[in-house]
Amino acid sequence: MNFPTPIPLTQFAYAAAAAGALTVIAYLLKIRRRRFEVPFSTLWARVLEQRDANVLWRQLKRILSLLLMLAILFVVFFAALNPTVGGLPPSAKSVVILIDTSASMKTSDAKSQRQRDVDLMSDDEVEALIAEAQRRKKTPLRVPSEQAREFARAILRDETSTEGTRIAAAKDAAKGVIDSMGGADVAMIMRVDSQATPLSRFDSDGPMLRRVVDGLKASDTPADLHRALAAAADALHDRQNPMIILISDGAYTDQQLASVSWDDPATAGKPAEASAGSGSAAPVIRDEIAARRKSYEQRSLATVNLHGIDVRYVPVGTRADNVGIVAFNVRRYVSNKAAYEVFIEVENFGPNVAHRQLTLYNGDSAIDVQPITLEGWKEDADGNRTPGQKIRRIYPGLSGGTDHRLRASLRPVDGEGGSDPFPLDDEAFALLPDRKKQKVLLVTADNLYLEGAMLVYDNIEVFKITPEEYAAKPDEMLAEVHVVVFDDYTPPEIPPAPVHAIYFHPTGPSSPIKIAKEIAHPPRIDAIAEEHPVMRWVQLSDVNFDRSQVFALDKDRGEASLASTVRNVVIAAKREGGRKLLCFGFPLSGTDLTLRVAFPLLLVNSLDWFASDDADLVTTYATGARLRVPLDGVTGVTEAVVIGPDGRKVWAAVSESSASFVAAEIGFHEIKAYTPPAEGQIEVRVFPDADEEPLAMREIAANLSSPEESDIQPASELRLGGAAEALKAPEKFEVATKRQFWTLLLAGLLILLGIEWITYHRRITV
Amino acid sequence: MPDYSRSGMAAQSLTGLPVQGKGRRGRKLATTQGAARAADRSKLFDEAFLKKLEYLHMVSRKVFTGNLRAERRTRKVGSGIEFADHRTYSRGDDFRYIDWNLYGRLDKLLLRLFEEEEDLYIYILVDCSDSMAIGNPLPKMHYAMQIGAALTYVGLANLDRVAIIPFSDHLIGRLPPARGKNRIFRVFDFLRTHEIGGKTQLAECMKDFVTQNKRRGLAVLISDFYDPQGFIDGINTLRYNRFEPFVMQTYDLREAKPHLHGDLSLVDCETGETREVTVSRALLEAYEREHEKYCKDLELFCTGRAVPFFRTHTQIPFDELVLKIFRSGGFLR
Repeated sequence: MNFPTPIPLTQFAYAAAAAGALTVIAYLLKIRRRRFEVPFSTLWARVLEQRDANVLWRQLKRILSLLLMLAILFVVFFAALNPTVGGLPPSAKSVVILIDTSASMKTSDAKSQRQRDVDLMSDDEVEALIAEAQRRKKTPLRVPSEQAREFARAILRDETSTEGTRIAAAKDAAKGVIDSMGGADVAMIMRVDSQATPLSRFDSDGPMLRRVVDGLKASDTPADLHRALAAAADALHDRQNPMIILISDGAYTDQQLASVSWDDPATAGKPAEASAGSGSAAPVIRDEIAARRKSYEQRSLATVNLHGIDVRYVPVGTRADNVGIVAFNVRRYVSNKAAYEVFIEVENFGPNVAHRQLTLYNGDSAIDVQPITLEGWKEDADGNRTPGQKIRRIYPGLSGGTDHRLRASLRPVDGEGGSDPFPLDDEAFALLPDRKKQKVLLVTADNLYLEGAMLVYDNIEVFKITPEEYAAKPDEMLAEVHVVVFDDYTPPEIPPAPVHAIYFHPTGPSSPIKIAKEIAHPPRIDAIAEEHPVMRWVQLSDVNFDRSQVFALDKDRGEASLASTVRNVVIAAKREGGRKLLCFGFPLSGTDLTLRVAFPLLLVNSLDWFASDDADLVTTYATGARLRVPLDGVTGVTEAVVIGPDGRKVWAAVSESSASFVAAEIGFHEIKAYTPPAEGQIEVRVFPDADEEPLAMREIAANLSSPEESDIQPASELRLGGAAEALKAPEKFEVATKRQFWTLLLAGLLILLGIEWITYHRRITV
Repeated sequence: MPDYSRSGMAAQSLTGLPVQGKGRRGRKLATTQGAARAADRSKLFDEAFLKKLEYLHMVSRKVFTGNLRAERRTRKVGSGIEFADHRTYSRGDDFRYIDWNLYGRLDKLLLRLFEEEEDLYIYILVDCSDSMAIGNPLPKMHYAMQIGAALTYVGLANLDRVAIIPFSDHLIGRLPPARGKNRIFRVFDFLRTHEIGGKTQLAECMKDFVTQNKRRGLAVLISDFYDPQGFIDGINTLRYNRFEPFVMQTYDLREAKPHLHGDLSLVDCETGETREVTVSRALLEAYEREHEKYCKDLELFCTGRAVPFFRTHTQIPFDELVLKIFRSGGFLR
């Protein structure tokens, strides 16, 4: 008999001893006599004299009560040890079943499945689809009408029948492994996508493990085999006969397959002994510790050591033909914000010629449709393979469009080569930065350089007033203005949010950033914050100034240095809630900056920063990777809300003004940061209402963007760590009987409790 | 019976109230809450009680209509008007009492003798020991006092001289013999205020009683007779000193049939002795038989010596008991 309890026996013994002591104490308290006053104890004495002969028997009956209580306690603790007869056979295994749930497992091998196309649905059909999903509580209650079709697509992706897909086959294979397990074998189910997630503990409960497997769904993320193997190896540490069974289609990178080591870590790095008389000039490492350190350094830290673990592979999948979008990007032209260009790359991963229809959408409007044909990969007689055809399309000079969301779609066509078993990579998403036309108010006496520089930017509307006009009616002047530029003038009040401001040569206590001092003829600027959007592509090292204010920054108030000369900050930025401020310490009249290219660039960058408009290439993000999305310099926020394509909300940590999360689905994600609670206020962690205005909002597009996942050709064999032999299929487990007695013990416990209750209340043991 | 806490904490009496104090074997307990209740006699003789007394008096007169006033008669020859006996004339006797009719017939000089009318002394002896403090809802002591007061009232109304003598292990005070109904309020005051408590020592108390009281009469003994030394010596002391004992045993029903179970530590309310016992149904039945035997022994002793005996429990209203006494004729002649 053995006792497979997870609790160490020593701790168990201590617990049992403590419980026994408590039981005896409780019993002693129980038998203490109650005091009762009688008028004439002589009568009782006469009665009791007759009963003195039975004292011993009464004492024995009382001990019987204690024995019953101790017997009950013993049964409880014995049952907790989970006594099992049958013993663990030496071949009993501890198995981690790794089930690949990456994007490629959504491939449908059984038949070419034509997914319902939201683009071809009417508005009523889209509404009905959303209503049905809401009824089954899979979407938020309120779906904005402009995002209805996006929600519908996300719903369809989630609800595509898994019948005939690789994930269904993997689940069947996993259940087969579970059913073939012996009575003494234990298994853990772990899902493998961009994360490695254990879904159960080691257990031999077959029905429970099958239920866990039934709940699996394939994700939109690529697989991280290295992470999964490392997690499995850690879980199997010190377990008997460890085994890993990988159920997958083998869509892994070579690097992941190579990041495995089979060496015995105990023997690795032992000093090499020079063979006697060999005359070899090989150096002998005499210091064992140094040798081990050297071996450790030589080995890559990224390898997973699977020494002593039996790894098996169960392949799933048959089809290899697939065409997918592997890249999709868009950017605006810097000089003409109204125009943009799009880049799409499509690749054929199958062996045959493929025909598709490539459509580019702006919102729900198709802006380009073209049929494409791609050749498949070719293999020569030597087995060398030429990859399938890859098509790149650039759509330049695109303009117009009412939506900033772009989508590329590959649609199958009828006929041979037109079907697609893997629809996830047939769609890609990209975002076009919003164009915001800003109203800029120049408060200047007269400055042709400043006015001229503003002409560079056609996305603004410029108004000019004198400082006196501003001082007379500041509120009226600031009405409907987005940005105000103060040229060598410092108003008594900083313009209120949401108006942004640029100050050239602020003076006095009304300066938005505190002035430490004024210096004359400062040296040239020797440090700039290149990562800040305002200073992008700006060179100031050769600019001269005749004087400048030096700012004393308070970083706790969101003030940052943009440029400094010998540690004197001459250009600073500040962010206060929804308002941004820029301060240039020098007057435009006292510098040659206005004659440099940097000047209009500075202004454009400043205006773009105010508008949160990033002129850079807005790259798309890959699903499964941990993303760090900048949130426009927000401070004081620790968490942001991420709204996925299907409307589900999750929390994302925010640090250094960037939100960190893993995008698990393809499509558009919204990240919203809200005003943190005031100091001293209790923070309540609930998702804000849709009506609440966020402090900052950012939208990103996530795509699969993984050629490894799009290459759906299943691997019939896998070799890990450069092993010569491929991984084998799992063999049948040895059947062993195991009998547990806890149910019988529980029944016995109930009987003992009943006996104790009866003997106590019938006054047999008291 | 309400639940009560474990050993070391409050015990409980047949009154259902917890017992204060720290009793171990041989140490007497402090005054129990039952004794405290017994000490509270302020409402013992209320308006309703007085009405009942008057009723009892009327009944007693109705039953014994035709009796003369100062109706106790002794066999003592004296100056009454009722002929009692004859005796031979001696020189110096009053010749007015010579029975001339008998002289004419018998030619002998004989004097006529008449009965002496004399008051009867009634002594009401009320047990006020600790054991009498037990009883629910009414402590036995209060019950005994009510009976004593009722009999006192009847006696006073019949112009007998009635004395009240409480006792426990000694005679606790004494209300001297008095006549007249108007004395009843003094009786009430005395019964309300005199000391109570102590052990039961019947024999010693009766010895003291007969020593202190020379005028013989009726001694009404109201007690539970829970004396460890027994009741025989006490009652015999009265008999041997030419008192007429009248025994009334009072008890509480739950003394005869206690509701006990389990492991108990029994504490004697007078001696403080503790006795550990595990009460079972058999033990309870044995105790009930023993209690009944004890009471029966008392009854047999009294009836075997022509001592009027009444046994009652506190559930019987005192006026019913007194009427029963009247009907039996033991108290009124």
